[in-house]
Amino acid sequence: MENEEKMMSGEESLRIITEMINRTKVNIRQGSFHLLFWGWLIFACSMSEYLLWKFSDFTHPYYVWFFVIPGVIVSMVYGFTTGRKAKVSTYGDMLYMWTWIGFLIAATVLFIVHSKSMQTVASYILLLAGFPTFVSGFIINFRPLIIGGITFWILAIIIHFAGPSVAPLGVPVAMLTGYLIPGYMLKYKVDHDKV
Amino acid sequence: MTRFKELDPILHSQLRLAIVSLLIGVDVAEFTYIREQTGATAGNLSIQITKLKEAGYIEVTKKFRNNYPQTLCKITSLGILRFSEYITDLKDYLNPGIPGK
Repeated sequence: MENEEKMMSGEESLRIITEMINRTKVNIRQGSFHLLFWGWLIFACSMSEYLLWKFSDFTHPYYVWFFVIPGVIVSMVYGFTTGRKAKVSTYGDMLYMWTWIGFLIAATVLFIVHSKSMQTVASYILLLAGFPTFVSGFIINFRPLIIGGITFWILAIIIHFAGPSVAPLGVPVAMLTGYLIPGYMLKYKVDHDKV
Repeated sequence: MTRFKELDPILHSQLRLAIVSLLIGVDVAEFTYIREQTGATAGNLSIQITKLKEAGYIEVTKKFRNNYPQTLCKITSLGILRFSEYITDLKDYLNPGIPGK
């Protein structure tokens, strides 16, 4: 595009507009990091809690959830530094980021108001987490994430009605279906399609 | 080419149209990003960005990041309006006899 004053046909104008708009897609590179990081962190916390509860005499197995606090810091630092390096910020990027920040705030409020009955919080957390996962899938046009969000809601119902011996395994299963499987598929897509 | 005289002359140029089409889909974009996406030279891009800025179609902010200058571009509400009008005019041209389609 060197001859800036060159006259164009209508078709050429339309081609330029279409080509440029298609280049401003959501940056999904960051997305796979957060999905895999949180997928593995929550998977490890929920499995550890379950194993401690089932096979040890430890009286406070839910203490493992304190690992979420440094997780939030790591995630925010990564997001902030990657965002600063980005040469462009699309509306989709902003929507993606604020959807997850909104979830983080809602989850924090839930933990505060629900702190006295933590054994039932899992289904509510999955209910909440399903929403940003589902919406993010549409923002980046990635079907496995949409399906992942739906599995959160299905598992929230199962956890609610299942017995106490089954319910603790609901969160690790949700991490596999909602974060880890879509996360690795997204990583594969980013690495191979160079998006 | 006279049939295009009714189209906005600020937008009806390859590079300026490309810049505005890029900015319409983003919140903010760095100068280097626009240069990469359009394939234009820095000098030419700089001239066209200045023209768009003077017309009020885009805002240009200069900052420093890690001691390096950074030029950020963002489309204005006037730019969005003019781009929308340009698209309408273009549709009229491409579909003569069906105004606004």
